[in-house]
Amino acid sequence: MSEKNPLPFAKTQSKAMLLWVLAVLIGLPLILPSATLATEILIFAMAALACNLLLGYTGLLSFGQGIFFGAGAYCAALLMIHLQLGLFTALLGAAIAGGFLALLVGALAIRRTGIYFVMLTLAFSQMAYFVAYTLSDWTGGDNGLLSVPRPEIRVGDTVLLSLADARAFYGFVAVLFLLIFIGARRVIASPFGSTLMAIRENETRASAIGYDTRHFKILVFVLSGAVTGIAGALYAMLLHFVPLSNIDLAMSENILIMTIVGGTGSLFGSLLGAGSIVLLGDFLSDLWPRWLMLLGVILILVVIFMRGGLWGGLASLFEKVRGSRKTASVAKEEGL
Amino acid sequence: MSILLETKDLELAYGAFHAVNGVNLKVEAGTIHTIIGPNGAGKTSLFHCLTGERQATAGAIHFDGNNLMRKPAHGRVGLGMARSFQLTSLFQNLSVRENLRLAAQGRDGARALNFWRRVDSKREHLEMADQVLERLQLTARADTLAGELSHGQQRVLEVGMSICSKPKLLMLDEPTSGMGIDDIPIMTQLISDLGRDHTVLLIEPRPDPGGRHAGIRARR
Repeated sequence: MSEKNPLPFAKTQSKAMLLWVLAVLIGLPLILPSATLATEILIFAMAALACNLLLGYTGLLSFGQGIFFGAGAYCAALLMIHLQLGLFTALLGAAIAGGFLALLVGALAIRRTGIYFVMLTLAFSQMAYFVAYTLSDWTGGDNGLLSVPRPEIRVGDTVLLSLADARAFYGFVAVLFLLIFIGARRVIASPFGSTLMAIRENETRASAIGYDTRHFKILVFVLSGAVTGIAGALYAMLLHFVPLSNIDLAMSENILIMTIVGGTGSLFGSLLGAGSIVLLGDFLSDLWPRWLMLLGVILILVVIFMRGGLWGGLASLFEKVRGSRKTASVAKEEGL
Repeated sequence: MSILLETKDLELAYGAFHAVNGVNLKVEAGTIHTIIGPNGAGKTSLFHCLTGERQATAGAIHFDGNNLMRKPAHGRVGLGMARSFQLTSLFQNLSVRENLRLAAQGRDGARALNFWRRVDSKREHLEMADQVLERLQLTARADTLAGELSHGQQRVLEVGMSICSKPKLLMLDEPTSGMGIDDIPIMTQLISDLGRDHTVLLIEPRPDPGGRHAGIRARR
């Protein structure tokens, strides 16, 4: 997991990257046929970004992301259905549910490293699925949890904005995504974030220079779980429905695939990864019911030929173009 | 002179095998000591007990008034202990400066969990990194990835990282291991330089004319 090079402009052009994100957020609903599709992309980009904090920045391959996604979805939906809670309290509840479960899973799983850690997260993921399946009075079991509301944004009793319209909901999700993106960048640039990268590079050394690496791993798990929980809650509001597949192992895989395809070295990569997988799924599933097979092929190609994922591929392409332009201009100056 | 580090009947046993058996050491503050002994004598095992990588199975370790027996490795840094590794152990894909900055930040312990401040808001760690860069004569390579340094430079960085936490005791595990014959003087010079303001305990397979020695015999 730790063979990636920091990309040449991952750090220096961070302002520019924020502009790129803004451009994508504004451009998505304009280009895509439906605002719902655009919203789905952002929701999964959020989940992939949270996964990236673990995988890309700390070097932890977690199959537990589906647990937090599903838990966020169920928690928010149940809070809204049974307690009639509003939008923000439901989202907060989802974040807490995701974060709390991540605390449990993280604290137990990080007691082992490498392959055993991965297997533990896998086991937790299976368990969570069957818990949700068994508690069918609450989760609806196989049928899913139906008629999830999408509350409006309100302050006290005044309704500020109804989110019933797909474009309004997109706007809300986009603002949340931007806030989470900025927050995640801040986390990465903090003493905590820099230590995560040290743990990814060499955990023994990180421990030898004074860091209790367990605390760092647990905290990044909690942060990742909370964001994933929010993504799950938004997904429930988008669909008005929580299918059992939200907490399935396949959800964890999906989120991991998006993260890896997008590129683990950068947060923007997660947006790219989620965007391309959701769009491909949307496009290919119309053409061929066995489209997941093609997705497998694409994943194989990206992993083999594009180290650093789509983002890494784009970055090196950009460098090449800039490099060749530079040599061309040098050649001109030298009168060649 | 005060005793900085003392061990009493220190033991590390793997089942019936004693890798470290009854080691008594006293290290005065402000000295350079070398632990010498052939391969397999248990030098590195002793080192592991002192740094916390392994838990000693019996005996006592006192360091600067603290009992270290049950302290984990990361907890010993805050008390003023720092170590380097025999096999170079750097953050390969991070810059040389970042390697040193992280090592300086390590002394913060749990305070480094702060995820809402910016790294550069802690100037002292960056300043420490720059000071050490200068001392190691690596300033020109500050922004190079640690993994791209020459082997000799990596060894120097390896040792340099251990002084970033302003330790009272510097423990160097075979600092010259694997170094070319031309690079070794640079390292011995660096160590005697560090010895002027640190207490140094190092492991070498062969005696070095500079310091005081404590020999360990290989066991059959």
